Amino acid sequence: MVGFTTTIPLEIIIAAGKRPVDLNNIFITDPNCHTLIDEAEMAGFPRNCCGWIKGLYSAALHHNIREIIAVTEGDCSNTKALMEVLQLQGITTVPFAYPYDRSRTTLEHEIHKLAQHFDVTPAQADEAWHYLNGIRAHVHEIDRLTWEENRVTGEENHFWQVCTSDMNGDPQSFQQQAKTFLEEARQRQPLPDGLRLAYIGVPPIFTDLYAVTEELGARVVFNETQRQFSMPYRASSLIEQYRHYTYPYDVFVRLDDIEKELSQRRIDGVIHYVQSFCFRQIEDLIVRQRLKHLPILTLEGDRPGPLDARTRIRLEGFVEMVKARRS
Amino acid sequence: MTGIGIDLGSRQVKFAALDGQNIAWLKSYDTIPFYKRYASRCDDRLLLAYEDLGLLTPEQWQSTPLTATGYGRNTINLSGANVIPEIQAHIAGARFQTGLETFTLLDLGGQDSKVARLEDGILIDFLMNDKCAASSGRYLENMAKVLDISLEELARHHQNPVALDATCGIFGESELIGKIIEGHSLEALCAGVNQTLIKRVAPMLARFAQDTIVLTGGVAKNHAFVALLRQFSSAEIVIPPHPQHNGAIGCAFLAGREQK
Repeated sequence: MVGFTTTIPLEIIIAAGKRPVDLNNIFITDPNCHTLIDEAEMAGFPRNCCGWIKGLYSAALHHNIREIIAVTEGDCSNTKALMEVLQLQGITTVPFAYPYDRSRTTLEHEIHKLAQHFDVTPAQADEAWHYLNGIRAHVHEIDRLTWEENRVTGEENHFWQVCTSDMNGDPQSFQQQAKTFLEEARQRQPLPDGLRLAYIGVPPIFTDLYAVTEELGARVVFNETQRQFSMPYRASSLIEQYRHYTYPYDVFVRLDDIEKELSQRRIDGVIHYVQSFCFRQIEDLIVRQRLKHLPILTLEGDRPGPLDARTRIRLEGFVEMVKARRS
Repeated sequence: MTGIGIDLGSRQVKFAALDGQNIAWLKSYDTIPFYKRYASRCDDRLLLAYEDLGLLTPEQWQSTPLTATGYGRNTINLSGANVIPEIQAHIAGARFQTGLETFTLLDLGGQDSKVARLEDGILIDFLMNDKCAASSGRYLENMAKVLDISLEELARHHQNPVALDATCGIFGESELIGKIIEGHSLEALCAGVNQTLIKRVAPMLARFAQDTIVLTGGVAKNHAFVALLRQFSSAEIVIPPHPQHNGAIGCAFLAGREQK
C-alpha cells in the first residue's frame, strides 16, 4: 500500500504494481472519523490546525500504511510537518511538489523522481496513463449525466469524482463498479429541474451537505475540486495532464476552469467551502471578486460530522435567496 | 388578528400579533425559562402550551395563522406553525416596519450578527457571523457584567474608546480586566466595548451598499453603538420602532399574507 496526502500522479503507483490509498478518503469514510481527529490532538496536533491534516495522520497509523507520498507544494505547507511527524513513526515518506508556476520542466522532474523511487520506466508510466484514462472516462460520463441529463445526484457525483483519486485502491473493480452504476443511472428518469448549485473548494468535511442541499430543493451539478481528481482533460501526455490539473496551482487557473463550467452548467448559485485554518480561506475574497455575477455562500467546516445548526441556517437562507432571485 | 409571529431567539422568545397593518401587541420571554415553562417535545415536534401563555383565547390560537422562525429552521419543528428561515423573517419585518424596499439590513441579536442586502424588495445577498459571537448582544451582556454596570449604562458611552481586540467574547473579559487595572475611566472602557462591535461588524457591512442601513435586534437599543455606526458609515441609519421584535413582526406579517 502506498498512501498519499492529495492527488498525485496515480499512474506511477499503478505502474509499480502497488495499491494506492488516498488518505483523505480512508479518513473521511472511517465510521470513527471524529475520534481520529481527537487522537491526533492527543498526539499533540494543535486545535487550530486543519482537520484534514489531523485525520490524515491518524488514518495513516490506523491502516498501518508504511509508505506515503506527501504533497509538499501545491497543497498546504502543513503537509511538510505532517510528513516529518510520520517519519518519526518510522513511515517512509516521499515528497512530491507541484511547481507553483506550472513549469513543465520542474513538473517533469518531480514526476521523474517519483517514478525513479518506485522503479517505474517512462514506458510503464505511459501505459498506466492510457489504462487509467479509460477508467476515468466512465467517471467523466457520470459527471455529464449529473449536469446535462440530471440523472445523477450531486452526492453520487461527488462520491465518484472523489474516489477517482485512488480508484478505491483497485482500478479494475472500480471500473466495473462505474460501468454498473452508469448502466443503472442511464435508465433513470431525469431528476426534477430545481436550483442548480456549484460546489467549489476542497471536498467538504461535513457528511450531509449534499443530502441537506437536496432536501432544500437544490442540487449540486458541479463539484469543482472533486472533478479535477478525475482529470477531465484531453492532454497530450502524462506531464501535460498534471499541468492541466488546476487544484495545486494558483487560484486564477482554478477560476478560469470554474467560470467556464458555471456557464456551461447553467449555475444559479455557488457554495464555496473552506476548511477552518486553511490558507484557502483567504482566497475566498478573490473568488467573490471574480464571480460577482452569482450569489456565493461561503461555508466553513472544521471537524467531520453533520452540518451544525448555524451552517444549516445559512444554507437554508441561501437556497431561499437563490430561489427568489430565479423566480 | 390577521397573523401571529414567533421568533425563537437564543436569548429571548418574541411574539408579535398583527391586525392588518397594525401591531396589536408584542411580547417577549427569556428563552430558557420560556422553554422550561411552556415547551415540550413530542415525536420530534416542539409543542408549545399556547393556552398557558394566555396571549389569546384557545379559539383565537386555533383560528389565527401562525408563523415562526428561530435557531435553524429544521431544528425547530413547531406544532401548528409554518416555520420560515430567519433571514426571510427579518427582511419581512424590516420592510413592514420601515416601508423601505432598498436597504442594507444589519441585525445584531443575542448571538447572531446578520447583514442582508435588499434591492427593490428582493434579497440580493446576505452574510452571518460564524464561529464567534463577539459582536452580539450576549457579548455586551457579559462585558456589562465584568464592568459591574447595567446594559443601559454600557450603552451610554462612545467617546475616547479604549482599544480592545475582542477576537473572542471570553478572552475579551480578561482583556477588559487588564484595561481596568491600567486605570482607564469607566466611560472609556464602555466606549471601547461598543467600539469592538463596530470592528467585528465592519468587514461584513463593507461588502454591501452604504445608502440606507436598517438596524434591528436588541443591539439597536445601544445608543453608543448607533453613534459609532454613524461615524463608521455614511449611510442613513434607520431604526424601526420595534427593533427587537423585528423577526417576530416579519413572521406575523408573512402569516397574514399566507392566509390571503
